[in-house]
Amino acid sequence: MIENTLQNCGKCGLCLSVCPVYKILKQEQASPRAKLQLIKAYDNDTLVSSPLLKEIVSKCLMCGSCAANCPSGINHYSKFMEMRKKMVEAQGETPAIKSLIYLLAREYRLKFGADLARTGQKFVPDSFAKSIKLGNIPLKNFPKLNSIPFRKANDEIIFPYKKQIGIVVYFTGCATNYLYDDTGFAFIEILKHMGYKIIIPKDQTCCSIPLLFHGAADKAFKNITTNINALKNHDADAVVVDCSTCGEALKNEYPRVFENNGQDPFEANKIASKVMDALSFIDQNFDSLEFDPNVKDKISVTYHAPCHTRNSFGSNTFAEKILSKLPFINYKKAPDVDECCGGGGTFFYEYPEISKKMVDKKIENAKAVQASLWLTDCPVCRMNLAGNLDMDDRLQVLHPLTLIHSALKQI
Amino acid sequence: MLDTQVKNQLIKIVGIDRYLDRLEELSCYAYDAFVEEALPDAVIFPETTAEVSELLKIASKYKIPVTGRGAGTSLCGASIPIRHGVVLCFSKMDKIIEVNTSDRYIIVQPGVVNGDVQKALEPFGFFYPPDPGSMNTSTIGGNIAMNAGGPRCLKYGVTADYVMGMEVVLASGKVIRFGSKNIKDVTGYKLSSLFCGSEGTLGIITEAILKVVPMPEAVKTLMVTFDNLDNTAKAVTDIIGSGIIPVAMELMDKLTLNAIEDVANLGLDREAQGSLLIEIDGVKEACEKEMKRIIEKVRENGATHIQEATNELEREKLWKARRSAYGIFAKLAPDIVTEDVTVPVSKVPLMIHKIVEITKKYDLKMGVLAHAGDGNMHPMIPADRSNKEEWGKVEAAFAEIFQAAAELDGTLSGEHGIGLGKSAYLPLVMNKDTIEFMKTIKQAVDPDLILNPGKFV
Repeated sequence: MIENTLQNCGKCGLCLSVCPVYKILKQEQASPRAKLQLIKAYDNDTLVSSPLLKEIVSKCLMCGSCAANCPSGINHYSKFMEMRKKMVEAQGETPAIKSLIYLLAREYRLKFGADLARTGQKFVPDSFAKSIKLGNIPLKNFPKLNSIPFRKANDEIIFPYKKQIGIVVYFTGCATNYLYDDTGFAFIEILKHMGYKIIIPKDQTCCSIPLLFHGAADKAFKNITTNINALKNHDADAVVVDCSTCGEALKNEYPRVFENNGQDPFEANKIASKVMDALSFIDQNFDSLEFDPNVKDKISVTYHAPCHTRNSFGSNTFAEKILSKLPFINYKKAPDVDECCGGGGTFFYEYPEISKKMVDKKIENAKAVQASLWLTDCPVCRMNLAGNLDMDDRLQVLHPLTLIHSALKQI
Repeated sequence: MLDTQVKNQLIKIVGIDRYLDRLEELSCYAYDAFVEEALPDAVIFPETTAEVSELLKIASKYKIPVTGRGAGTSLCGASIPIRHGVVLCFSKMDKIIEVNTSDRYIIVQPGVVNGDVQKALEPFGFFYPPDPGSMNTSTIGGNIAMNAGGPRCLKYGVTADYVMGMEVVLASGKVIRFGSKNIKDVTGYKLSSLFCGSEGTLGIITEAILKVVPMPEAVKTLMVTFDNLDNTAKAVTDIIGSGIIPVAMELMDKLTLNAIEDVANLGLDREAQGSLLIEIDGVKEACEKEMKRIIEKVRENGATHIQEATNELEREKLWKARRSAYGIFAKLAPDIVTEDVTVPVSKVPLMIHKIVEITKKYDLKMGVLAHAGDGNMHPMIPADRSNKEEWGKVEAAFAEIFQAAAELDGTLSGEHGIGLGKSAYLPLVMNKDTIEFMKTIKQAVDPDLILNPGKFV
């Protein structure tokens, strides 16, 4: 996304048709166009800071669909982040979001938090877990934390099964590290199978997107610097991610943040140019995959395209391309494959009523195509979709990597 | 600010959840896609005809201005509450009431988005022809109030040709219904034509019966380039003159083509002075026959390159080039102005000359885009509104463009409407008595002038 800072919003309203929040609320103030208008008014001092102004500009999934579809090329994404920062400075933040930022700003705090939570999950009585909800997701439906953080469970350097064809640096993201290590293990196996040497830098930390979304720019900058240092100088062919939001950060936000902080964006740009999401990377190397000839049965699969995959990598087409190429898959496209699920980082927690409406519609459509697996390459989408399924909905939500791995030929 | 007593009466009708009056919220209803802005005193979201009727009774009683709003995509400021008062926003009154393709109609509430009408009809093999550029956002209520058009209106006609019947709430709160579910209906005045294009000044539309048509069996799309802009325009008149009415004939000049090619890299001919995107539809055999004749006609006019889309992907690519034009021009400067003067098809070459001449005189950058088949021009001028000198030139240039169109038997607006933007120019195309006649109608149905005041009538 190249930012065009001189550009004015022409108020054409095209963004209304792609904004998931507007489509639910059907009120102009929920739209990207209105938010730009309010930001302009605030900057021109015709509107002053207020809790309502903060609420209106924050009621946004940060999915990036407005920016991706804007005929004037406005980068709503960065304008919204900037405004959120101003609003947090002027109005403060809720205690829950504050503690999230506190956790994500330091890796050791995250580890400690995860340890505590893991213990907590063991001790929370079932009856209690069943009855309470976090945002729109019942507590009992939250994923169990990894027993050992993913990066701790793996060596920093992993060698391929066959002749080495290249080197990748793997940015694992917090979700794979603490929640969904199945995604990470599957990705490593696929990369080894392809012939890639994998480097998982130990010093990497949260990509900072949650911090940037909630206006904690200073803390974000520290994380970003840590990550750039961890990812640079590996002479890798690609920096791969299994979460497109982390990918979006590395690809678009890091260079921007460096420039905004008056720092040389050379290393950030270098890394940005190498960032690839898992599915684009697999598509590019598809010919190096050998599938198990014994897998004869076909499995019915549907897919949910995460907003950041769609808007930042344009790679929902890769996912669908791969799915239609896999010999053991019967791909059943849902009519709303491109619609947002309402997860949106912490959106599902902050605005459960809006989020619930969105996810329920997704579930209804996914069930209607009668698939047994529902693939999605974003951990928040996965948590949101899986968390809102009922026990008797025979649909399992997984990262596409897990499925691809399960059908590979043993080497 | 509304009087507390009035406010309470309005809230009593719709409930507090559908009534907004805090500054942060009102700021979001002060604009549409036009350049001006004005804050309303309150924004109300009605969901039923009865609510609209009750709201208007109160507005009438206290003489409060009422401005209707769909999705706020008007290009002439029709939905800007220039005299403040109440904005009635119809985005929540958005139900499709009935789809009946055997009797060829669909009944909808005003807040239904045009694109959703298309989606509802698609499974039945039908469509609703008016296709304004904003169709995925704009609402049927707004489309009717503005008598919206679009590229395919060349063959199919505009909104007014598809409204079979309506329910309208008058300023007094009285509810009137006219037209019917019958394709043929000459019972009384054709009132739907009066309300199409009334821009919310005569009544508030609360329901509409729209005519729908079967989707054509075949579609053929062609991109033709010429080394001369006059020939490009002449090919348009020749094709139509030979008895073929394409669905769309979109003209772009060299500057526009190159601006698209700079960004989108679609393989367009950079040397071409003009291009036409031509689409025809209908029975397969007829399409093939017409396509042959179209190709003959463009060759006679010296076409340098003819490219026919052989599949849906190629067709999509050609249309993408056309559709991206506005956005690409919008990026050339902080702001962009585009108007929609329209002239008889035979005058298209002359009008293009005039536009080029006028914008050159004022030293403005300008791209020509036109629904050329129906003479509907869209000169696009990227400019900086904060640059007073430049903006003055833009306004002066448009004044001359309107004048030139009038001299060529043209009209001020083919599809955007008059609203705030062009009311000053009405005398160019209407005599005093005609303007007076419109005012007489307005006075008769809205004696207190509460409906969308400050606009063209």
